[in-house]
Amino acid sequence: MQQREEKLLEASVESLISRVAHLKNALHSFIYKLENEYERLTWPSVLDNFALLSGQLNTINKLLRNEKTPSFRQQVIIPLLLSPDRDEELAKLTEQRVPVFSHEIVPDHLRTKPDPEVEEQEKQLSAEAARIGPEVAQKQIQTLNKLCSNLLEKLNNPRDDRDAESAAIRQNKPSFNTADTNALVAAVGFGKGLSKCRPPGPVAPGHPGQGPMMSGGPTLQQVTIGGGSGQHQGMGPGAPQQQGQAGKMPSNIKTNIKAASSMHPYNR
Amino acid sequence: MEAPPVSVLPITGGTINMMEYLLQGSVLDQALESLLHRLRGLCDNMEPETFADHELVYLLKGQQGNPFLLRARRSLSHPTVPWHLRYLGQPEVGDKSRHALVRNCVDVAASHSLPDFLNEMGFRMDHEFIAKGHIFRKGVLKVVVSKLSRILVPGNTENTEPLSLSYLVELSVLAPAGQDTMSEDMRSFAEQLKPLVHLEKIDPKRHM
Repeated sequence: MQQREEKLLEASVESLISRVAHLKNALHSFIYKLENEYERLTWPSVLDNFALLSGQLNTINKLLRNEKTPSFRQQVIIPLLLSPDRDEELAKLTEQRVPVFSHEIVPDHLRTKPDPEVEEQEKQLSAEAARIGPEVAQKQIQTLNKLCSNLLEKLNNPRDDRDAESAAIRQNKPSFNTADTNALVAAVGFGKGLSKCRPPGPVAPGHPGQGPMMSGGPTLQQVTIGGGSGQHQGMGPGAPQQQGQAGKMPSNIKTNIKAASSMHPYNR
Repeated sequence: MEAPPVSVLPITGGTINMMEYLLQGSVLDQALESLLHRLRGLCDNMEPETFADHELVYLLKGQQGNPFLLRARRSLSHPTVPWHLRYLGQPEVGDKSRHALVRNCVDVAASHSLPDFLNEMGFRMDHEFIAKGHIFRKGVLKVVVSKLSRILVPGNTENTEPLSLSYLVELSVLAPAGQDTMSEDMRSFAEQLKPLVHLEKIDPKRHM
């Protein structure tokens, strides 16, 4: 009986040690990444690391809660031999962190009582609890239970309910305006609202304004390239090669030359 | 009038037909900071890059229907950098399930005599605007957050007024024709920006 218990104890301690070692390694690599590679780190990979740590903590918890694990609280550790000499095996086991098993390190490593600050806080909490009386305590317990069950219900319910509620909340602080999106896309797409020196407001697209010097779009009367080609009569025959992209243009220029010649050559 | 297929263009021999995949959205000024933080976390880690560009759109009107559009862009923050000339085709009306707007795209660099050259060719400037903002990259994805401003006095880039109280957010990828996997990646990236911005494919024709 005792041997079985001993074996069980040993096995659970072994597995606990290995899990804690995994956790330690994960923490170590995460800290290394944060300190040395922070320029290349992206938020999703930081989240991954945190998720890994949380998963490992979960497995440790599950291990401790397992029925097969004996209760560690009932075990007592008594140091049998303390010596101020360096112990090589201990140093190897603890990766050089505990080289000497002396009376200095024993109170820290084998302590079972909580830290003095924690003890102080616990004392305060129990004094407070004794002070408020049983009925008030009961009421507080009930409120806490109700809050928790509400939260659980909200989390477990199907997504549509949640989305409807959160959409209502989001209405108050929208971060984008669809009308603005459309206006901006129209402006970039074909210059809606951007016609030269026009006051704000959508203007019929594609019709240039009149007068401004840089633009100088042909007026509606001078219909399209009539004005432009009148200027370039000499270039007309040469244009077909240059305007390779506008394949159909050359013919238009030729036919329009006659019409444009009646206009002032400097009229754009 | 459409540009003929690239194989006929005399610009350079044997260019690949590049397509631009585009998703657009906007974000209000007050939500800009949170969007920039999120983008900085999601995108490749690099120094935040801001830009200030002046874009002029040139039209060549044909006798038949649609005018031919060219976009010339220059940097206001780097005045000596060459101009950038871009042609964007009509959006491809392929299958409706494609998540991004796809259109033919031809980009060339040009010298500072570009506006004069285009004027001599017969193009007329239709409109111009200033775009100022931030640019982020994630692999081949490019995210541009820009504030568009109207130029009040033509030629004077100092005198501007913002078009709206929002920033335009554009997610784009330049890829050779035929690669349709891009739109999936773009869609998953756009999902990560919700609910701050809704990036979607917006057909500009709808808002004419």
